[in-house]
Parts: sequence; C-alpha cells; structure tokens
Amino acid sequence: MSTPNMVLLIVSGLLALGGALGTVAANRPLRAAVALLVNIVALSGIFLSLHAQFLAMVQLIVYAGAVVVLFVFVIMMVGATEKVPRTLRGLTPRTLSLVLMSLVALMLVFGVVYVAMPAQDLPEDYGTVMGLGAVLFTQAALPFEMVSITLTVAIVGALAVGRGRTPKEAEAAKAAEAARQLEGAERLAEERRISAEVSAHGGH
Amino acid sequence: MAVEFPIGIYIALASALFGIGAVGFLIRRNALIQLMSIELMLNAVNVSLVAFNRAHPETQAGQVFAFFVIAVAAAEAAVGLAIVISLYRLKQTVETDSADELRY
Amino acid sequence: MNELLYERALVWIILLPLIGAVLNGLLGRFADKNLVSALGVGSVAGSFFLALVCFAHLFTGMDAANEHGAQIAVTAYQWFHLSLPAFGGGVHEVGIDVRFLMDALSGLMTLVVTGVGLVIHVYSLGYMKEDPGYARFFAYLNLFLASMLILVLGSNLPVMFVGWEGVGLCSYLLIGFWYQTPAFAAAGKKAFIANRIGDFGVLIGMFILVSAAGSFEFADINSAAPSLTQPFFLGTWQMGTLATAAGLFLFLGCTGKSAQIPLYVWLPDAMAGPTPVSALIHAATMVTAGVYLTCRLSPVFMQSPVAMGVIAVIGASTALLAASIAVAQKEMKRILAYSTVSQLGFMFAAVGVGAFSAGFYQVFTHAFFKACLFLGAGSVMHAIGSHTDADIFRLGGLHKKMPKTSWTFLLAACSIAGVPLFAGFFSKDGILLGASELAYAPEPLSANWVGWFVLVALSLAATMTAFYMFRMYFLAFTGEYRSAGEEGAAHGAHDHHAYDPNPHESPDTMTWPLIILAAGAVSLGLLGLPTEWHLTNWWQGWMGHSIASVHAAAEGAEGAEESGLTIAYWTALASGVLAMAVGIGAAYKLYYNRADDRFRDAMPGRLYQLMADKWRVDELYQRVILGPLAGLATFVGWIDQTFVDMLLTRIPSKLALLSGFVATRIQNGRVYAYGAVMTVGLAVVSWFFVTPHPNLEGQAEGATAHFEAAAGMGYAYRWDFDSDGTWDAPTQGSEEGFGAERSPSHEYAFSALRGRVLLIAQPDGDDARVLVTEEPRPLPASLLPAGWMEDPTGDATLPSVRLEGTEIVLRRNSAVFSTPHGAIADEEVHLGIGDHVIVGRPETSRTDIAVRGLVEATVEVENAFGNRAHESLELVVNVPPERSEPAQARLTTATDEVLR
Repeated sequence: MSTPNMVLLIVSGLLALGGALGTVAANRPLRAAVALLVNIVALSGIFLSLHAQFLAMVQLIVYAGAVVVLFVFVIMMVGATEKVPRTLRGLTPRTLSLVLMSLVALMLVFGVVYVAMPAQDLPEDYGTVMGLGAVLFTQAALPFEMVSITLTVAIVGALAVGRGRTPKEAEAAKAAEAARQLEGAERLAEERRISAEVSAHGGH
Repeated sequence: MAVEFPIGIYIALASALFGIGAVGFLIRRNALIQLMSIELMLNAVNVSLVAFNRAHPETQAGQVFAFFVIAVAAAEAAVGLAIVISLYRLKQTVETDSADELRY
Repeated sequence: MNELLYERALVWIILLPLIGAVLNGLLGRFADKNLVSALGVGSVAGSFFLALVCFAHLFTGMDAANEHGAQIAVTAYQWFHLSLPAFGGGVHEVGIDVRFLMDALSGLMTLVVTGVGLVIHVYSLGYMKEDPGYARFFAYLNLFLASMLILVLGSNLPVMFVGWEGVGLCSYLLIGFWYQTPAFAAAGKKAFIANRIGDFGVLIGMFILVSAAGSFEFADINSAAPSLTQPFFLGTWQMGTLATAAGLFLFLGCTGKSAQIPLYVWLPDAMAGPTPVSALIHAATMVTAGVYLTCRLSPVFMQSPVAMGVIAVIGASTALLAASIAVAQKEMKRILAYSTVSQLGFMFAAVGVGAFSAGFYQVFTHAFFKACLFLGAGSVMHAIGSHTDADIFRLGGLHKKMPKTSWTFLLAACSIAGVPLFAGFFSKDGILLGASELAYAPEPLSANWVGWFVLVALSLAATMTAFYMFRMYFLAFTGEYRSAGEEGAAHGAHDHHAYDPNPHESPDTMTWPLIILAAGAVSLGLLGLPTEWHLTNWWQGWMGHSIASVHAAAEGAEGAEESGLTIAYWTALASGVLAMAVGIGAAYKLYYNRADDRFRDAMPGRLYQLMADKWRVDELYQRVILGPLAGLATFVGWIDQTFVDMLLTRIPSKLALLSGFVATRIQNGRVYAYGAVMTVGLAVVSWFFVTPHPNLEGQAEGATAHFEAAAGMGYAYRWDFDSDGTWDAPTQGSEEGFGAERSPSHEYAFSALRGRVLLIAQPDGDDARVLVTEEPRPLPASLLPAGWMEDPTGDATLPSVRLEGTEIVLRRNSAVFSTPHGAIADEEVHLGIGDHVIVGRPETSRTDIAVRGLVEATVEVENAFGNRAHESLELVVNVPPERSEPAQARLTTATDEVLR
C-alpha cells in the first residue's frame, strides 16, 4: 500500500471514529447531526483509499447531501438546541448493551486487524463510473429497478405516515377514542363486580 | 502494488464503527440519535463490503451491493423520520421511552 | 309340596308390602287417591292373611314338632360368601343366604306387625285424607312394614340387619314426613343418628358372634352358645367372655332402636311425625325390635350373667326415669312417648332377669294398648284440629263429645296400668314375677341385688305409670271442655292456635281400629295366664322352643306346672296390684273432674321443674357431645380454609401470578429493551454459526461401520477412524488437510479395536453392553434372565468376565451356559470376538451373550471461519478375530466335535 494511501486511510479512519463517537455521545441532537456529517465525509475518504471513487461520490451526494440534511430538518422541527440526556436511567440495559457490544467489537477488532490478504491487480475500470455503471445496468439491472420502486414506496410511505390527521379525521379519531374509553371503563366496573361476587361466595 | 493488502485494518475499522453504532442505538433514548446510530451501522457494513471487494477485485459485486445499501438506507431514513415526526405529534417528545403503550 | 306352599307364602308376606311401597312411591302421585288407598291397605291385608295362614299351619304342627320347634323356612338365594378368621385360630367359611324363618317367636311377631299394621293403615285412611303427601305416606308406611317383616322373619343376622336398617330409614322418613318444618326434619335426623350409633353396636356384636360360632344363622349361633364362655380380649384387656361382649354390644344396638338409656332421646322428639306413625312405629313394632333381638339370641345372653345384669339395671332405670318424666308432661303424645320408653324399659328388665317370654309377652300386649292409646290421642287431635299435639289442660269433658274414643282409651289405660284381668296385668305380672324370683334366688347375692333393684324400680315405675295414665284420662275426658269459649281463646293466645270449640267424634275409619285394638288389649290376657293358677299358659308353651328361659334352665324336665305359689309369686302379685291401686287412686283424687294441677303445686318446685324438663338430658348431650363436635367441625373447617385452601389454591395462583409478572417485565414497550434482547439473541445465534457442530452418528454392520457428520456452511471434515491420533481421511496421515467427505464407511481391522464388550440381549430388544476389563467383573444380575443359575434355591454367584490378552475369559460360577450344541461344563470359557454363548436353564428364558469389539472414531470439522470442533463416537463392531484354531477348540461341550 502506498504511503499517501495509508495516510489517507489513517486520517479518514480517525475522523470516522471520532465522528461516530461524537454522534453517539452528543449532548444535543444538532451536534450529533454534525458529527454524523463528519463521519460520513471521513467514510467517503476511506472509500477513496479503497479505489472506489464512484461510491465515495455517491456517499457524499446521498448521505451527506440528503440524509443528513433530512435529519437536520427534523431536528429543527422537534427542537434542536435543547440538551438531551445522554443515556438511559436504567443501569442494567445500559451496562448489558455496553458490555456485549464492546465484547463483540473488540473480539472482531483484535482478532482481525492483523489479517492481510494477497493483493491482486486491479482491473482497468475498477471503481469508476463506467465500470460500476456497466455492472449496474447489465447484471444488476433488476435490483436497480427494484431499488427505484423501493424509493418510490418510501416516499409514499413517509408522506402517509407524516401527514397527520385532517380536521375531520381528527374529530372522528377523538370520538372513537372516547367510545373506547367508555367501553374500557364499563368492562373494568364489570370485572370489579364479578370479583366482588366471587370473593363473597368463596368465603364459605 | 505491495504484495499484501491490509484488509484487517478495514475490517477492524468497520467492526469498531458497527460496535459504536450498536451501543449508541441501545443506549440513547432520543429517537433521532438512535436513527443516526442506525446509519452508522449501515455505513460500517458498507466499508467492510467495499474492503472485501478490494481483496477480490475480479468482480465489482461488493461496490454494487454497497450502492444498493446506500439507496435503501436513504429510503429507510426517510420513513423512519416520518415516524419520528408522528411520534412527536402524539407525545410532544421524541424520546422512545414514551412510546410504551404496546406493553403487557 | 304342601310345605312348599307355605314357604312361598312366607316370601309373599314380605313381598306384598314391598311391591305396594314401590308402586305407591313411584306412581302414587299420579294415581287416584282411592287406588293408592286400595293398594296401600290391600297389600298389608294380603300380608296379614298370609301370615294368619302360615301361623295356623305352624300352630297345628306345634305339638308334633322336632327339636327346633315347628317352623317354616325358605331360602331365597345365596347372597355372598366370606372367609373369616375365627377366635383361637383357623378360618370360618361363612355363607350368607337370604333366608326367612317363621317359628313361634317370629310368627307371633309377624301377626302383631301385620295385624296392628293393617289396623293402623285403615286408621290412616281417615287421618291423612287431607294431606297432600298421601301417596308418599302410604308408600313409606308399606316400606316400613316390609322392612319390619324382613327383620322379624330373617333367619340370620345379616338379613335381620337389613330389616333393622330399613326400619331405621323408614322411621327417619316418616318422622320427618312434614319436612317443610325444620324442627320435624331435625327430629327425623335425630332418630336416625341415635339409631345409627346403636347399629354400630349390633354390627360389632354380629362380628363377635360369627367369629365365635362360624355362622350367621340364629339356629347355629344359639346352639353354639355354650361355647361362648371363652374370654374376650380387646387388645390385651380382657373384657369378660365372648357372650358378655357380644351381649353388651348387641344391647347397645337395642338401646338405640328401642330407646333405652342412653339413646332414648330420639323417641320423644319423634312425636313430630303423624300420629299413625307414632302408633305403628314407636309403640307397636320398631321399638320392640330390640326386645325381639334379645329374645332371638336368648341362649347367648343366658351365657353371660354380666350382660343380663346390665340389661336388667338399664331397663329398670329407664322405666323409672321415663315414668318420672311422663308424670310432669302436659301434652298427650308426649306423655305417651315417655310411656313407651318406660314400657320398653319394663321389657328389657324382664329380659335381664331371665324372663324372656314374659318380656316378649309384654311386647305383644303393649302393641295393642299403646297403639290404641296413640290412635286415641290422634283421634282427639283430629277432633280439636291440632296437627302437633294436644294439651290436656286445655281439654276436658271429651267423654261426652267423643264416647267411642273415650271408652277405648279408658280400656287401654286400664290395661297399661295393670288392672287385674286385663292383658297388661298378666304381662306386667309376669315381669315382676321374674324379677322377684331373681330377688329370692338362693344363688349369687349379686343376682339377688339385681332382682331387688328391678323389683323396686319397676314397682315404682308401675305406680307412676298408672298415675300418669289416669291423670291424662281424667284431665282430658272428664270434667268440662276447657277450650269451648273465652277460656279457650285465652289459652289459645299463648300457644300456636286455638282448638276447635266444638269437637266431635272421629269418622268410622278411625274409630273401628280403636275398638279392635281395645278389644285386643282386654282379651289377650287369656293367652298368657300364669301357670300358678293351674291354667294353661299357651304363651309359654309356644315360646318354650324358641326362647330360653330361666324356668326351663332351672327346672328342666319338671315342667311349668310344678312351680306353685311361692313367696316370689306373692311378692310380685302384691307389688303389681298395689302399684296400680295407688296410682289410679292418686290420679282420681287429684284430677277427676278438676282443671288445675294440684300435683304440681304439691311437689317441690325444683324437682318438678327437672321432671318437666326431661331431667335436662338433651341439654347434657348438647353440652358434652354435640357442642364439642360442632366445635371440632368448625376447627377442621378453619384448617381447611387456612391451610388446604392456601396450599392448593392460593399458593399455586400466587405462583402463576408471580411467574407471569416476571415474564412480562421484558415487555415494557420500550425499544431499548427489545433491542437489548435482540442483541442477546444475536450473540447466541452468532456463536452457533461461528463454531461448527459435528453431530457424529455411526452404525456398524459386522466389521464395517458407516459414519455421518452434520452438514453446515463451509464445513470441511477429517476423520480418524481408530482414534489413534493420526488422521485417516481424507488423506492418510495428513495434518492439515480437510476434505468434503461427510459420510464415510470404514472397515475395521482387528488391530483397530479399543476394547472388548459383551452384548447381552435384553427382553425389550436392545442389547446391554458390558465392558470387559483386565479386572474380573461380575455380570450384573439385572441383565441376566431369571433362570440363569443352576440351582435356584441356593446361593448363586454371578458369572464374571475378564480380559486376557486378546481374548476374554468368562468364568461360569453358578450360571448355566450353553452353546447351540449343548451345555458348557467348564468353569472358564475362552471367547473371542464373534462368539456367543447362551445363558439360562433350558426350561426358563434364555439370553444370548455375544462378544464384540469396541472401536472409537473421531471426526474434526472446520467451518468457513476457520474454527474447528471434533467429536468422538464409540461403536461396537464384529471383527473376525485373527486367532488360531486351537482357541476355538477350548470350548468343550458335552458333544465334542461339531464346533468347527
């Protein structure tokens, strides 16, 4: 591996790890979003070191340019600048998760970091737009189309979920909720009565 | 090129990122940060895919697969955020702890 | 042939009322009342007629009788058969037949039962006419009659006991006939429970008798009576002789059924039933069942002076006690009830002093006059419109209004009081005679004491009997009717309801029975004229064969004519007459034509109150027995609720709730919790995938074994078939190579064997393995067949096996080994792989023992991650041995040569 490649790798790697830690440990959601951005850009650098140019650009365009922006939109909507508690109240799930995941990660990291494989010559159009495009539109054409359908469905789904209720729907929902509450209360009273009967009967 | 390609570093990096993402998802209560952790995990998988492809460059399947992962992750982020907005509308907060009505 | 007719008739005596009961019981509700009446009365009438026929036949054969006396016996069928241990070792084979017997004793009893029963059935036609339960009443009454007949006609104890229980049941049904009133139902229950306690005594007595005599039949028991003088042990405590024990237990039953101390308390309460019931059951028939039993088993009782003494004392005491209570009562039926208890006491006192036939004679006469008195009381109650009882202080002057009732009542009262020449006089005289004879007897002084006690007590009781009877008669029938106008209303205000101000005579269906019974009460004295007057005592003649008596025992062949007029006789006569005179006289003076109770005023208040309160015996029982019992029940109930309920219901329910609670803690609806659980699952699953699992299986056929390892993602295998450390496949001796061979076969050579093993065929099809070691090991006996030893009776040593070099040596010890050619005689057998011997004697089950070799194969698996796992398996193979011929020849058998 050439030296510039190695340097790129190391710098990007460190930035990626830092960004990840920042995302997970951030106080405020907006800061977490920015840390995520850092992470994504660093990852794009890592892709570059792996000779995957097209993917690096796609990563920047899609992730950094769309996904993170979407996150920032939503954060702005729900209140970005307040402090958010870092971790759970409960000790057990927190510790459990921390321990388990750390074990898995460490096991993989230290078991694997020294592994090396024989490097092979790269084909001419490895990682380029042409090369990838050729594969995408010939061998992987079907999945490609499926992904576009998936994206369409996702758009429709996000619209449907995020729409909220029209005023008419809201009223209908409120009435249904009231009816359900009433039925619940009735059933509770019935159960109380039955249990009172049973205990009176069972006393002898 | 050098004889050897240090794939271990990339795998280690991917594992570390995946672990951080997983821990973050399990520990944080804020729905948005949980979603971000999910994105971290997906990215980590992407890294490992591309690294393995680099080790076996006769086909570009790894990068294609990573491409699709990015696309689907974007779709999933969109829908997930829509759900978060619904949750916010219902509970006036984005803490996932507040979404606990599906209990015993 | 003629006998057959009478035997058939005997069975029909019982069957007719039974059929009547069943028909009326099931269908009576839907039938016309006249039909019900016809069936109810007709069945009893038929029964009475048949009884007359049979008794007449018996009567004519009385003189030309065999040693058993004249009798008609019929066996219906054998009920069941028992083997019982006998006292003093051995076993009795006892058969229990349903057998009926009519001799003089049971014949007379049958006549009384059916005759008086018929009369009372007729009376009930009028008395119960308005009652809605008419059919039910007749059904129960018929059932009672059938049970009583079974009791009386049974020729062995179990059949009698069936009747005994039957009358107890019917008594309960009839006392509680108007069960809608809780007090009446309670009275029925009380009667049944008191009877039940007595029944326990009867059962124990029955068991003692059958263990001693080897039979349940009365005839057999009675003839075995002299043998009952052996001592009876209750554990290690000697409780007198067998006869004493049996007698006392049987008498316990009699106190229950015949209302003696201590179990008499049910009888006064039994007046809750309709009056015909009181008349039939509690005057004439059921209560006399106890006396009947003692008379039946009189030889047994005679053998035990202790038991007789106890019976006499209790009988006399009961007579005295009950009479004293009757004196202070003011309701007619109640007075009559206590009178019954008292008269029963007379009967038992008679039995106790040895005058069995006199006691039974009292039964006979008592049936008539008591039934007449009860029916008369019923007539009065019917006239004044009372359903419960009649207060004599609110009556009076009924002689003018109900002459027939009044006259019959008077006649019956004279009879019970012992007015000379009435029937009651003769029977009572007989009893007093028996007592005084015992008092004057020259022998044991204890007997004298009993005799005097009985005499004095009975005389006192007789005085009181006369007194309270005539007190009742004078207050009710003489003077002026006190419930006619304002006086009656004044009284009526206190009590439940007023009496009819103008009572009139009862209908004919009610008065004719009264007349018939009164006639009997007067005239039947002719049957038992005392021998002292040198007149024929028919009664004693009849009874002589059926009942033992002191007379017969003492005088033997002298005959009854010789007794003459002794001092005992005069004492008895004098006390009887004196008692009657004093009693009637006092009653006349105090109550004739009067309305007030001067007797009560004359008595000390406290004493009188005690007498009126029945001496508070019921209260005593309540305090001492029933109260603690109820307390115990409450306590046990508390334990049930607190502990049993807790243990069986509350604790399991709490456990279920707890486990549910624990299990639902995970489902708190929060994402992080689900995520944590998913992580754990992920870890487990990934462990499963990360390490390989071989799951080795193997099968051997002869010397070839087939192995199979599990398939998995990226698995590569290598095999070591003999587990010697070097890998045999895929390439021989390779260290690193893994191949894809998943299910290889391998043929084993002799050198690959790890050890030797014996396969012993087991009955369930599998083979049991026994590993052969250098140390000799015995073959486990549980794996060998039952007949493996040579000598089944002696000590047997198990065969043992050990390894010697490449052969195994089987040491025979006490086992039987053989080959298909014959038995092996050697002490030690050398075997190689593939040989087998048969263990076990030829005539028992035999098992094959085969010798096989043991091999162990190992497989190592590597999966795509590079992780390895290995597993080993032991198999039994049959590898042909590489040994020489001479080893085979060492198996010597009886026939030598064929093994090659």
